[in-house]
Amino acid sequence: MAEAGGDDGRCVRLSADRAQALLADVDTLLFDCDGVLWRGETAVPGAPEALTALRARGKRLGFVTNNSSKTREAYAEKLKRLGFGGPAGPGAGLEVFGTAYCAALYLRQRLEGGGVPAKAYVLGSPALAAELEAVGIASVGVGPEPLQGAGPGDWLAEPLEPGVGAVVVGFDPHFSYAKLTKAVRYLQQPGCLLVGTNMDNRLPLEGGSYIAGTGCLVRAVEMAAQRQAEIIGKPSRFIFDCVAKEFGLNPDRTVMVGDRLDTDILLGVTCGLKTILTLTGVSSLEDVKGNQQSDCSSRNKMVPDFYVDSIADLIPALED
Amino acid sequence: MAACERLDGGALRELLARTQGVLFDCDGVLWNGERAVPGAPELLERLGRGGKAALFVSNNSRRSVAELAARFARLGFRGVAAEQLFSSALCAARLLSQRLPRPCPPGAVFVLGGDGLRGELRAAGLRLAGEEPGPVRAVLVGYDEHFSFAKLSEACAHLRDPDCLLVATDVDPWHPLSDGRTTPGTGSLTAAVETASGRRAVVVGKPSTYMFECITEHFGVDPARTLMVGDRLETDILFGHRCGLTTVLTLTGVSRLDQAQAYLAAGQLDLVPHYYVDSIADLIAGLAD
Repeated sequence: MAEAGGDDGRCVRLSADRAQALLADVDTLLFDCDGVLWRGETAVPGAPEALTALRARGKRLGFVTNNSSKTREAYAEKLKRLGFGGPAGPGAGLEVFGTAYCAALYLRQRLEGGGVPAKAYVLGSPALAAELEAVGIASVGVGPEPLQGAGPGDWLAEPLEPGVGAVVVGFDPHFSYAKLTKAVRYLQQPGCLLVGTNMDNRLPLEGGSYIAGTGCLVRAVEMAAQRQAEIIGKPSRFIFDCVAKEFGLNPDRTVMVGDRLDTDILLGVTCGLKTILTLTGVSSLEDVKGNQQSDCSSRNKMVPDFYVDSIADLIPALED
Repeated sequence: MAACERLDGGALRELLARTQGVLFDCDGVLWNGERAVPGAPELLERLGRGGKAALFVSNNSRRSVAELAARFARLGFRGVAAEQLFSSALCAARLLSQRLPRPCPPGAVFVLGGDGLRGELRAAGLRLAGEEPGPVRAVLVGYDEHFSFAKLSEACAHLRDPDCLLVATDVDPWHPLSDGRTTPGTGSLTAAVETASGRRAVVVGKPSTYMFECITEHFGVDPARTLMVGDRLETDILFGHRCGLTTVLTLTGVSRLDQAQAYLAAGQLDLVPHYYVDSIADLIAGLAD
């Protein structure tokens, strides 16, 4: 395939030589998961071998995902199961930074010192609730919520849980008008925070179709409550700051590897990391070109330093 | 230039003397919940006696026109005919009838909304998805108490066809209840559908001017001699300006005077009413006996 590098010298194909030079100057690689390491339940061919080789070369690995439906442990289990290795036992999950875990960290910071046990109304998964519980924040609201009674008057009269200090919006297949109404009621209480795990508008499925992403639910709550949510996941800095804090990173010696220009690559650029786009997921070279040629400066940012067809392309640079 | 002046005295009399017709929003203007605004029924009666036309323009997509007419009667407003009522449900039906093939193919319209909206669509000859099979050619987002993730994803599936229309009855973010609590509006549901599909909805309700087009198909309206009276700056007043009407904010509903004044100070003149009144009953004093 021909080189894509634009006039600005970015988005250069990461050949084996360039990869060797790059990796010599890098201590840590951060990977998105869906569309990079695996698609659904199937590892991208060669990806497990690439990561095994990186670990063997002493590189530290981190996994940065906007998925809020799994705990760190569950992600670690999937990484192991699909051949990507990682620590076992109580250390399992320490390489993983998903938005459920990072949302819990954010809320622990913000709700600390409130004098009462912290509580959150959660539009999201049991995993999100579990990560919150793990840092001492109780959650209410996970699961379906049927409309009670005949009309708005009735369901607005439903009692609220006392002491809810935050509404957290994650991926919620039980999202409904009733839950949206309840979220807005909590948000109208003084001091109640609004947090969204991420703004991905779609979750791609196999075969090119998609379902609605968490971003849709966050936008619905923001609109009904007339407030902006604090966003945890890529491209927000917060998720990177969680990694940096636990890993003690040097951004100059860290690479972000992802498949989405508007989340993974933008995060990398914002945080001063080197960036590699893999073509095994959402974004294409066409998308990169469109961003390079755009008049809009925020689109110009979403261009990676390098691209690979898949992360298996790193393997030749790692062979002795 | 709209300057948000109190409408009373000589200015009120002069304005009403040259007014031929008045468009009224309903919720927060004529009534709050189940209570008519005191003096509102009398105002409508006096307008009629004075030979001035009254038409009603509501973003509320829960009610069919028949239900809206029944509400007028129940709350003490006499002599209001169905022809005077323009709801976003009625106008959404009109828009879809215009844009879809005629006769409407089976199962063509996927509706996120309740019985009132569905009834209005069927009355216009539209055929709804879920009632019969057929490719969906339009997704209509209305006020939907039964909105769910599953319905959102189904809407998205239909919208993958770039020829499938996306229409919203209105984009109101929330609605007030009479005791000051709020309920999420169609705008919040539309935001979810737009975000997933990457498409912008065609909006039927205010501040889009589409309902004014529906009105002028049936009634001769001289914008220079027509008032728009509403309670919400971002819908009613903006709509009035876009249609070239003289705008009057009434303070019995959503928007507050200080909000209008803030828009004025910020130079956002499309959101500033020409005039305001505490309630539409204040207009009675401007009508000749």
